[in-house]
Amino acid sequence: MSTYGPPHLQRRSLLKLGIASAVVLAVAGGAVALMQPGLQNGKLTESSRLIFSRVGQTILAGTLPVDEGPNQIAINSLLDRVDAFIAATPEHVQAELSQLLGLLATSAGRWGVVGLSSDWHDATLPEMATAFAAMRVSSVSLRVQVYQALHDIVSASYFSGPESWAVLGYPGPRAV
Amino acid sequence: MSLPDPIKEGLARGWKVLGGAHGALPPSITCDVAIIGSGAGAGITAELMTKAGLKVVIIEEGQLKSSTDFKQREPEAYASLYQEAAGRQTKDKGITILQGRSVGGTTTVNWTSSFRTPPTTLKYWQEKFGLTDYNVEALAPYFQQAEERLNIAPWQTSPNENNELLRRGAAKLGIHAEVIPRNVKGCYNLGSCGMGCPTNAKQSMLVTTIPFALDGGATLLVETRAEKFEIANGRIQSLSCIAVKPNATPVNAGGPATQVIAKHFVLAGGAINSPALLLRSKAPDPHKLLGTRTFLHPVAITTAIMANTVSAWDGAPQSIYSDHFLGTQPIDGPIGFKLEVAPLHPVFFGANLPGFGEKQAQLFHRYPNANVMLALMRDGFHDQAVGGKVELRSSGQPLLDYPLTEFVLEGARRGMLAMAEIQFEAGAKAVYPGHEMGQGTTTWADTKAAINALPMKPLLTKIGSAHVMGGCGLAADDKRGVTRPDGVHWQLENLSIHDGSIFPTSIGANPQLSIYGNVNRLAQGLAKRLTGKAVTLA
Repeated sequence: MSTYGPPHLQRRSLLKLGIASAVVLAVAGGAVALMQPGLQNGKLTESSRLIFSRVGQTILAGTLPVDEGPNQIAINSLLDRVDAFIAATPEHVQAELSQLLGLLATSAGRWGVVGLSSDWHDATLPEMATAFAAMRVSSVSLRVQVYQALHDIVSASYFSGPESWAVLGYPGPRAV
Repeated sequence: MSLPDPIKEGLARGWKVLGGAHGALPPSITCDVAIIGSGAGAGITAELMTKAGLKVVIIEEGQLKSSTDFKQREPEAYASLYQEAAGRQTKDKGITILQGRSVGGTTTVNWTSSFRTPPTTLKYWQEKFGLTDYNVEALAPYFQQAEERLNIAPWQTSPNENNELLRRGAAKLGIHAEVIPRNVKGCYNLGSCGMGCPTNAKQSMLVTTIPFALDGGATLLVETRAEKFEIANGRIQSLSCIAVKPNATPVNAGGPATQVIAKHFVLAGGAINSPALLLRSKAPDPHKLLGTRTFLHPVAITTAIMANTVSAWDGAPQSIYSDHFLGTQPIDGPIGFKLEVAPLHPVFFGANLPGFGEKQAQLFHRYPNANVMLALMRDGFHDQAVGGKVELRSSGQPLLDYPLTEFVLEGARRGMLAMAEIQFEAGAKAVYPGHEMGQGTTTWADTKAAINALPMKPLLTKIGSAHVMGGCGLAADDKRGVTRPDGVHWQLENLSIHDGSIFPTSIGANPQLSIYGNVNRLAQGLAKRLTGKAVTLA
C-alpha cells in the first residue's frame, strides 16, 4: 500500500469510507487503487450488471425461468428494476453501493467478501449458492451486511414488477 | 366516478404552496410561526396556530403527493413517500426503519393504529423525568379532542383473517387481544394505508390539519429542507433552507434556497430528523443529551404459513393487538412487547422473507397463506435499553447509531416464541423465525427448540422499526432533557419541539395519537402565550 503519512492515520481515513473499506484492509490494501466505481451516473456499470445478474440468478433460483432465453429476459428486466431502485436511494447509499460493487469486481473482493474463487462469469449456480449460504450466517458482520444488501436490492427490485405477482398469487390492487 | 382529491382541489382554490414544481422560493420569508415538518406534530400545531390568527409557514423536505398519486403500488410509494426510499438503516445496518417523507409525514403512510399514551408510560415519565403534568387526567381532554378531530374509534368492521388469527390463537392460550382504534372515515377496507390512502379515508395530516392551515392562509414550502438555525443570544434568529430532490440530494450544490424569519419556530421533523437539524445548527447542548435516547420499538417477526387462506394484502392492515406481554413483568424489567400483525404486499413480503434460492422459491407460492406477526419491543425503560444516538453524516444528513444489546435481543427471542405459539394455535402449518439461521419448523415443540437455539446476534436477527421516538426528550430540568415540559427548548426561548422526538422513552404503543394528544396541549399553550387566545382542536 502506498503511504502518505503514518499507516494508522491512513487506516482511519479509509475506515470513514464505509462498508467496502474494512474488507479492503483485511483482504489486500492494493485493491483500493485498482477499484473502478460500480455505478456510473447513478446506474450499474457493465461489470456491475454482470454481478447483479449472477446475484439475481442465485437469490431467485427456483423462481426465475430456467430456459436460457426467458431467463435472460427476466434478468434484463431485473437489472432495469435495480437501476430504478438505486435511482430512488439517497447519495450516501449510492456511494456505498458503488464502492461495494467496485470491490466485488476485483478478485480480492469477490473472494474476501463473497467467498467465491471463480469469477462472476464462470461461477456455477451451486457454487454461488454455497458461497451465499456461508455469507448469510458469517461471523464477520461485514459479510452478513453485504449478503443482506444484495438480497434486499434483488428481492425489492424483483417484487416491484407485476411479473412477480403470478409467482406469489397476488391479484394486484383493488380498483377504487 | 372518480374520487375527489382534496389537495388538488385546495391548490385550485389558491393554496400558497412553493418549492419544486409549485413555484420558486423567495430569498426570504417572514412569518409569526415557522413549522419544520408537516407530520403528526406539525399538522396539529399548524391548525392551532392558524386558528389563533398567526401567520404560519410550514417547511417540508418531501414532496406534496395526494390521493390521485396513490396507486397502491409499493415501488412508487417507497420511492416517493418514505425516508431513504423505505431503506433508512441504523449505523450497523442492524435495524431498517420505515419513516415518512412527504407532506403529512409518517401519518401519510402509517397503518392508522391509534392509542393514547399508556398510563404505565406516563407514570414512568412522572417518576424519572419529573413530568408531573403528564398524567392520564390532565391529558384526557387533549386526547379526546384529537380523537374527535381525526375520527379515531375502535374499528367496527370484522378484522381480516390476517388479524383475526392473532385473536384466535391468543384466545386459545388465555391471552387477551383487543380491537385497534383507527383514524379513518369511510374506509374502503383496502389495506393499502402504507402506500398512501387512495380514498382519503385515512385521517392523516395530509387531508385534515394541513388543508385547514392552508385554507386559513398558511404557506407550505415543499422539497425544501430546513438546513440550519442561525442562533444568537439564546434565540433562533433565522432558519436557512435548501432545495432538495425526491431522493434528498441537494439542488444547486446545496446553496441556500430561502431564509425563514419567524417570531417562534416549531421543530416537528420527527425523531432522528429534528435532533439532526439541531446538531447541524450547533444548538446549545450543555449536558450532551441531544440525539441520545432515540427509541424505535424494535420489532421481531415470525412468518407463518397457515393451513387456510389469509390474503394478508387485503383489508384493514392492523385491527387486532395484544398488550399481554407488556404486563407480564414490570415496565423496568425484561423488555415487554406489543403484538400486532403486518399487511403483506409483494415487496414487503418478498424482501423480508429470510433465505434465498430454491428453498425460498417454494415459500413465494404460499404467499396467500402467509401471516407475519410483529413483536414491538418497549425500549427506553431499562439501562440496557437506552436506545440510540443521532449523528451527522458528512452530508449533514442524519445517521442513527442504535446498537442492539443482548437485553433487547433476548426480548426478540421471547417475542418470537410468543408469536410462534400463537400462530400454531391459530392453525399454522409451519413457522419461520425472522432470523438468518431460521429454518421452517412444522410443530410448536420443534419451533420452540429452534428459537431457543438461535444465536440472537445483531444482523442475524432481523429487526425492523416503524416508530421513531426520542432524541429531544422532555424533562423537568435541563440535566435530564432537551425540552421543557411546555415544549420549549431548554436553552432556546423561541424554539418549541412538537413531535415524537420529545418522548423521554418509547411509548409502548403505536405513537401517532401520543403525538397528536401531547402536541395538542403544547400547541394550545404556545398559542395562548403568543396571542392570548384560547384555541382547541375540536
